[in-house]
Amino acid sequence: MPKPPPFPTMPPPPAESHPVDVAQALTEALYAAIDRNVQSARIIADAAAVPVGPTPREVVWALNKTKLYRYRPTQPVDPAQKKRVPLLLVYALINKPYIFDLRPGSSFIEYMVNEGFDVFLLDWGTPGLEDKNITFDDYATEYLPRAVRKMLKVAEADEFSMLGYCIGAALAVLYAALYPQAPLRNLMLLTAPLDFSRTDGSLFSTWLDQRFFDVDRMVNSLDNIPPEIIEFGAKLLKPVENFIGSYTTLYWDFADDPESVANWQAMHKWIHDGVPVSGAAFRQWVKDYIRANELIKSEHFVKGQRADLANIQANFLNVVAKYDHIVPPHQSTTIMDQVGSQDKTLDIIPAGHVGLMGGRNARYKLWPKLAAWLAERSA
Amino acid sequence: MSDKTQDQPQFDPLAVWKEWQTASLNAWAKTMSETVASEDFAQSMGQSLTNYLETSAPVREQVEKAMEQYLQQMNMPTRQEVVSIAERLTNLEMRIDDLDAKVDQVLEILKKITMNNE
Repeated sequence: MPKPPPFPTMPPPPAESHPVDVAQALTEALYAAIDRNVQSARIIADAAAVPVGPTPREVVWALNKTKLYRYRPTQPVDPAQKKRVPLLLVYALINKPYIFDLRPGSSFIEYMVNEGFDVFLLDWGTPGLEDKNITFDDYATEYLPRAVRKMLKVAEADEFSMLGYCIGAALAVLYAALYPQAPLRNLMLLTAPLDFSRTDGSLFSTWLDQRFFDVDRMVNSLDNIPPEIIEFGAKLLKPVENFIGSYTTLYWDFADDPESVANWQAMHKWIHDGVPVSGAAFRQWVKDYIRANELIKSEHFVKGQRADLANIQANFLNVVAKYDHIVPPHQSTTIMDQVGSQDKTLDIIPAGHVGLMGGRNARYKLWPKLAAWLAERSA
Repeated sequence: MSDKTQDQPQFDPLAVWKEWQTASLNAWAKTMSETVASEDFAQSMGQSLTNYLETSAPVREQVEKAMEQYLQQMNMPTRQEVVSIAERLTNLEMRIDDLDAKVDQVLEILKKITMNNE
């Protein structure tokens, strides 16, 4: 185990300082620190109540806990700007999908609908005990195709685009590989965890290694995996930054800036607003996808059918976050050589896993790129 | 005194504290990142989880059994029975969704036939 670092020593006040000045400075600093503490505590306490998901929407389909939403623009859109091909957003099975729609002005969905896209979001919902046997494959084969069918009907379209984020990207890839006949015109992946052949830089692969982690015991004991465990694991990837650094950043840098505070609160709420993962889905994700690495090798079979990545013919955009510590870039990039698409692009963006979509710079770095790429292919 | 203090940089304890805290956190972040990346840590975490699940399982089973007996005596449905009904509801929802898809197909065919006849 590495040795703990020596603590930096607190520098003393300048030697020539007058004692009265030092005392006064210390008193002022104490009051300022108390003010900051109170202010930060209030911001943290209020975070759970901040409104999220502001873009107007309606449920157009529901099955079990899964819902399909269709979004409406928040400002008039020029009919000439409207895109013919609807866009389906698929998020991961952990956390809630409102990372796509955090707050007014910081919402990817709001941005896209105002750019003229017909945006649909597939929300997997919160699994209950009765859903503990839903496998990872079930989400891609029992729920996703039904949602696609309904979306095409509602949008009166005969083709669609799909954007998968994180594990949602793995679901999107599985769907695209299993259903080559589906009218999928454009496939976009964000931070897709697909290739687990390398364990360097991927702590989850190490922690979930079968030498250390008994997934069967966990699933058999807990049925569904509670969100607290998932959240704890995600935070443990960078323990000091996540358990302490996030709050010191608020304390020192954000507390006086209302815009930063609002974004911090929305993000804080989202991080702590996880959902349980179906036990069977978690077990399959760990065994088939991480340990056996079946998806990237096109060796995964669902009901006797092979999920062959060469089946993916849709226009393909693969966005990778350069500083992603949850899904290291090497887990996402190797699919470029596997897909059968003629039109394929790899885009590496200097951002982290969550900041890529929900960070303050996302609207300048990522969203315009996605919109421009998709607009060219949605006429 | 005032002339002298104007020449000196003002002593700001908060700035000193912030600098010290940032340096400390950076040092600890590096150390902790190395720690959690080690196989020793993975083994230790896995073992802790196994121990927790092993020790809590008998308690959980006893509570579930007692609750089930109580609910049966009170003529109330047990959790497992409610779960079973929920699973059947989901299956029914899927069947209805399949029927909805088939109705759509039939309507589509009828629409095409009508258009051809016109």
